[in-house]
Amino acid sequence: MRASPRPVFQTLFNGLITGVIMTLPALAVTLLFGVLKFPNFAVGAMMTVAAYLAFALNAQLGWPLLVASLVAALGMGFACIAIDQVTFKPLRERGAITLMVASLGLGFILENIARFAYGNTARSFVMELARPFRFFEIRMNREQMITIAVATAAMLLMWALLTRLPIGRAMRAVADNPALALVRGIESPRVIRWTWFITGVLLGVGGVLVGMDRALEPPMGSNYVISVFAAAILGGLGSPLGAFAGALIIGVVSELSTLVMAPNYRIGVPLMAIAIILIFRPQGLFGQPYIRR
Amino acid sequence: MSEVLRVSGLHAGYGAGDILKGVDLALEKGRIVTMIGPNGSGKSTFIKTLAGLLPAREGTIELEGERLNELSPPKRVRAGVAYVPQEYNVFRNLTVLENLKIAREFMSAKRVNGKALDDDLIALFPELPAHFGKKAGNLSGGQRQMLAFACALAVRPKVLMLDEPSAGLSPLLMSAVFEKVKKVNAMGVSILMVEQNAREALRISDTCIVLAGGRVRSCGPADAVLGMKDLNRLYLGDASVAPSRVSDAL
Repeated sequence: MRASPRPVFQTLFNGLITGVIMTLPALAVTLLFGVLKFPNFAVGAMMTVAAYLAFALNAQLGWPLLVASLVAALGMGFACIAIDQVTFKPLRERGAITLMVASLGLGFILENIARFAYGNTARSFVMELARPFRFFEIRMNREQMITIAVATAAMLLMWALLTRLPIGRAMRAVADNPALALVRGIESPRVIRWTWFITGVLLGVGGVLVGMDRALEPPMGSNYVISVFAAAILGGLGSPLGAFAGALIIGVVSELSTLVMAPNYRIGVPLMAIAIILIFRPQGLFGQPYIRR
Repeated sequence: MSEVLRVSGLHAGYGAGDILKGVDLALEKGRIVTMIGPNGSGKSTFIKTLAGLLPAREGTIELEGERLNELSPPKRVRAGVAYVPQEYNVFRNLTVLENLKIAREFMSAKRVNGKALDDDLIALFPELPAHFGKKAGNLSGGQRQMLAFACALAVRPKVLMLDEPSAGLSPLLMSAVFEKVKKVNAMGVSILMVEQNAREALRISDTCIVLAGGRVRSCGPADAVLGMKDLNRLYLGDASVAPSRVSDAL
């Protein structure tokens, strides 16, 4: 089957948007893995909860979506610090597998809290409707432009935080060598709290973007989990630049795959990506080879 | 001369058993103390316990009379004890400048100024500024060791603890490292060093401690130990039969 050029570019653009949405949760996964060395499978449910929080403020209290999203993202940041204190901190010394299983359980709980509060009906944010427009024959809409702008701004802020601010450098230092960080005077509890806060904010913004792109429903976040992990692994777990690149690649390739196979099989792309990268380049595109200390 | 660091009856270890079985040490201000001993004698365990990476099960660690036992590793750095590990002693994914910045960013303001490297440290490590933008993981072994020294000194410690600073270096670089240690000491920093290259280390040291089986077997002036005929046996072989005083071996 030969695709005509127009669907190819349209699909490429749609894939880019999917990838851009995934950059934020992928960065959250990679940051947390870098500092705490465990894969947090609750990322999807955390996005869902944050999106519903923004929905409550926007649709139920009548706040503008921008303000509601900002408050929801900051709220998710603080909620993540609290979740860590209650759920992960007591298990910290038990290793990555225990923490990963705890994150799976936490994901179920959070998703079902959203389901209990709002049911399974799909909902959407209250925002002004705008007509889609065409740019070089590619159909785009205002939400997609907002998504690109917000995700780009978030990535630039993250880059500035990680490279320009002491706490960002400390996060990278703890990710690099936790024992050395201690004897260089870096208090790891403070770094861990900041990491969770930033993770929560990223997931909060990511959740709102997913809700804008599709609709709000309880599995909205968990639907992204496999792709988000594929993106983080492809880019190299622990590498922020890798998370960004991995998310864009997985998003674009997943969408392009629908040109040659049924869309239902799209989920095969991130799974294949995980398999291929783990066989041929386990450290991912931008990750460092693992050194056991 | 006043004591800056005093360790009394230190017990520490991994798992059920103790590796250190009651170690005593006194470091006088401005001096260099080198601890030697066979592999597995507990030298690195001792220095890690002082840094706070391992808990002291018994005994006390005091810095200028202030008890350190209960302080976390970052608080010990703030109190004035800096530690350079044997391996992985720089953040490999951070640049040289970032390594230097982070070494003092979490210190209290009175200890540090806003500069990444003070003028006296630039004079001591003139080669570092040329590599500021380079990732620390891309430095050579000798350059990495210099960066690790500079990071530890950036916080203006009272005591600098070095875990085998010459490990893995060529003889030429080894001499350069010991030369730096001497210069750091001349700046007024008291030094506690654990070393396998006993002869080189003792040449620049004031006092030598021989550790074996987790106990101090001998303690005395470094030049006296250096003059011993059976120095190699003491630090490589069966040091459990080492004399209890250096004078006994002379």
